[in-house]
Amino acid sequence: MIKVRDLEARLSLEMKVCGELDTEITGCYISDLLSDVMAHSKEGELWITLQTHPNIVAVAVIKGLACILIPNGRSPEPETVRRAEAERITIFTTSAMVFDIAGRIYGIMKEEGYGVPR
Amino acid sequence: MEDLSLHILDIAENSLEAGARNIEISLSVKRRDDRLILRVRDDGRGMSGEVCEMAKDPFFTTKEVRRVGLGIPLLAQSAEACNGFFSIESQQGKGTVVTAEFQLSHIDRKPLGDIGSTMVVLIGSHPGRDFRITFENDGFSYSFDTRELRTLLDGLPITLPDVLQLIKAEINKAIKLEA
Repeated sequence: MIKVRDLEARLSLEMKVCGELDTEITGCYISDLLSDVMAHSKEGELWITLQTHPNIVAVAVIKGLACILIPNGRSPEPETVRRAEAERITIFTTSAMVFDIAGRIYGIMKEEGYGVPR
Repeated sequence: MEDLSLHILDIAENSLEAGARNIEISLSVKRRDDRLILRVRDDGRGMSGEVCEMAKDPFFTTKEVRRVGLGIPLLAQSAEACNGFFSIESQQGKGTVVTAEFQLSHIDRKPLGDIGSTMVVLIGSHPGRDFRITFENDGFSYSFDTRELRTLLDGLPITLPDVLQLIKAEINKAIKLEA
C-alpha cells in the first residue's frame, strides 16, 4: 500500500498543506458533491475534488480521508489552507486534469497491490 | 445536496430540532435582478450570536456534539458558488431566519428539485407542527399553509396518504421556474 508521502514523490504534486504523511491510502474517491462524498467515501481514501471551499476539510476530517487532491490547476482558498493546517489534512494540487491524474494514481496503486484480493 | 429541495429539508429539520412550531419557507424569483432567494424562518428556540456565528463553521459540528450537521455550511457554499450569499440571523427565544441568495442564471445554481416531496416529508413526519411555503415568481404568487388546509379538512388527518399525495402534486404544479 502506498502512503500519502509516496504520492508527492511519484506524481510531482504540489503540497499546499502538509498533514499526516504516513497515512496509508486505501483507495480513491472522486466527486465534487460534498453530500455524496459524505455518503460514499471510505476512511483512508484519497479524495480528488475541484472544490476549494473550507467545507472540504470538514468532510475529510469527518470521513477520515487520507488526503485531498485538487486538480485542473485550481488552488484551495486561504481559509481552506488554514483549516487544513489546523486539522493536519494534507492538500495537494496539480495542473493535471482529473482523468489523467486519476489514471496515474490508479496505475501506481495497482502496482502496489490495489484491487488484488489479499 | 443535488438540489434546493434537499437543502430546504435539511434547514427545516434544524428548525424542528430547535423546537419550532411554525416554519415558513419562501422562494422568491426576481428575474429582472437575476436572483433567486430562499428563506426559512422559524419560531424555534433560536441561538445566541456566538452559536449563530459557529453554525456557519463546518467544524462546529465535528468538535461539538453533532447537533446541527453540515447542512448550513453546505447551503452557504452552494449560494456562494453561484454569485450569491448566505446569512443566518437568530434571536434566543424568538427564532431563526436562514437566507440563501443565488444568481438565478448561474450555471452552477442548483435546480429547485422536488419541493413537493420535501414538504410532504416534513408535514407527514411532524403532523403537530405548521408549515407554510410561499413562492413568488415575478407576477405569480402561490402559498400553501398547513393551517389553512387543516380548516378545509375539517378533522380529517393531514397525514392521510391521499392528502399528502395531493399536497405534493399541488406544490410541484405551482412551484417551478419554467413558464
